[in-house]
Amino acid sequence: MARVAPNSGSKAIYLLCILAGAILLYLDIAYKSFDSIKNTYISTTISSTYLLKKITVDPFIYLYDLSSSKSHLVNENKNLQAALDKSYLENFIVSRGDKFFMDDEAITALMSKYEIDEVFHASKIKFFDTTKYFCCDTHIMYIEVISSSGIDFTGSAVINSEGIIGQVISDNGVKEVLLLTDTSHYIPLETEGYFCNAKGSGKPGIISCRYSSLIWTNPVSNGQKLYSSGLGGIYPRGILIGYVQEITNIDETDIKIDISLITDPLKNSMLGIIEN
Amino acid sequence: MKAPGILKTMLILFLANYLESIIAPTLIKIYVAVPLTFIVFSALTYRFSQNVNPLYAFSLGLFIDLISNSLFGLNAILFCLVSYVINSYANTFKLFSYLQVCIFFGAASVFFIGLSNLFLAIENFSYIVLFISFFFNTCLCLLVAVSPVNRLSMDKRLSQYD
Repeated sequence: MARVAPNSGSKAIYLLCILAGAILLYLDIAYKSFDSIKNTYISTTISSTYLLKKITVDPFIYLYDLSSSKSHLVNENKNLQAALDKSYLENFIVSRGDKFFMDDEAITALMSKYEIDEVFHASKIKFFDTTKYFCCDTHIMYIEVISSSGIDFTGSAVINSEGIIGQVISDNGVKEVLLLTDTSHYIPLETEGYFCNAKGSGKPGIISCRYSSLIWTNPVSNGQKLYSSGLGGIYPRGILIGYVQEITNIDETDIKIDISLITDPLKNSMLGIIEN
Repeated sequence: MKAPGILKTMLILFLANYLESIIAPTLIKIYVAVPLTFIVFSALTYRFSQNVNPLYAFSLGLFIDLISNSLFGLNAILFCLVSYVINSYANTFKLFSYLQVCIFFGAASVFFIGLSNLFLAIENFSYIVLFISFFFNTCLCLLVAVSPVNRLSMDKRLSQYD
């Protein structure tokens, strides 16, 4: 049977639908009006997935673990891996201080400023859309603190065993983490006494910084280290963020540098939140 | 082919979206983007024996926006546009060969990728991805069109007229 081409009434409905879609799109881009709906959906999905897994799969896994020593060993291995990740985080500041911090003063200042006894709140990744991480400008991760403390972590820096990966931008139980590479993320950096505001590039592992050669008189070279300057008040000062990977001259004075991050958010499932 | 119920279509699109989220990170490394959800929706619209209601396309688009954590309205607009084009040219497509129809779907998918990238990844907009995706998606559609499963389905449909 032949299909009838849309008549004028049908075309009007199409036009209305497209206009409605355009209005929704504008509202979402300009005002982020639907973020609460999206976050509710994501948190519902995460919760229901875990609940469903706990009810359906976990009992079988438990029975299987009981009956099989091999499975028990695998499980034990996972626990050890988690413990190892956690220990890396615990030693993040102390054992790798010379690598992450410019000098001893920076580490001492950080420890005393935050009166650090426990340097971080151990957390686990709940949801990470790797598709968006590889394809798009939005790089967001959802994490959950293992031992709930009731603290609002909004604005706190998030680390893994390699260093800083981003900051918590909203805390509704599940913490929304904006990664350094997100295009809406900025981190103030310093190198050899010069400062710049590095912006996420939308590409995994790369952030970029622009400066004027009239202000930065010393030439920047590939492989040069960049540290957090602490100016934004979010990230502690003096932590190694990355190395200069590529230098591009935009015009005579304006220079753009691409910075290769030392951290990879896919590296560990165990993360730490530094309380702000 | 009769239009399946909205729940069935939603389930199909949900599975397509899930599959897309699994394969996309791997394929983007070779500069290929496959908008599987969009292609599946286009294919369903193409195969229906009746025109797809604009509100039906709009609602499904919004559903995809929600589950794919995309900008609200983006898929809704694109689903409406593609269903309008397919409804308008459904009879003309019957005169076309498989190859021509597949090129149309390949071009439509590239339009989808391009427009999505304008909103979602403007700073990393890449023409290489568009070009390679066009060939890849056209070949993918062609493979599906000439696959034995599709032929069996076609034979079944034609036998209804015997």
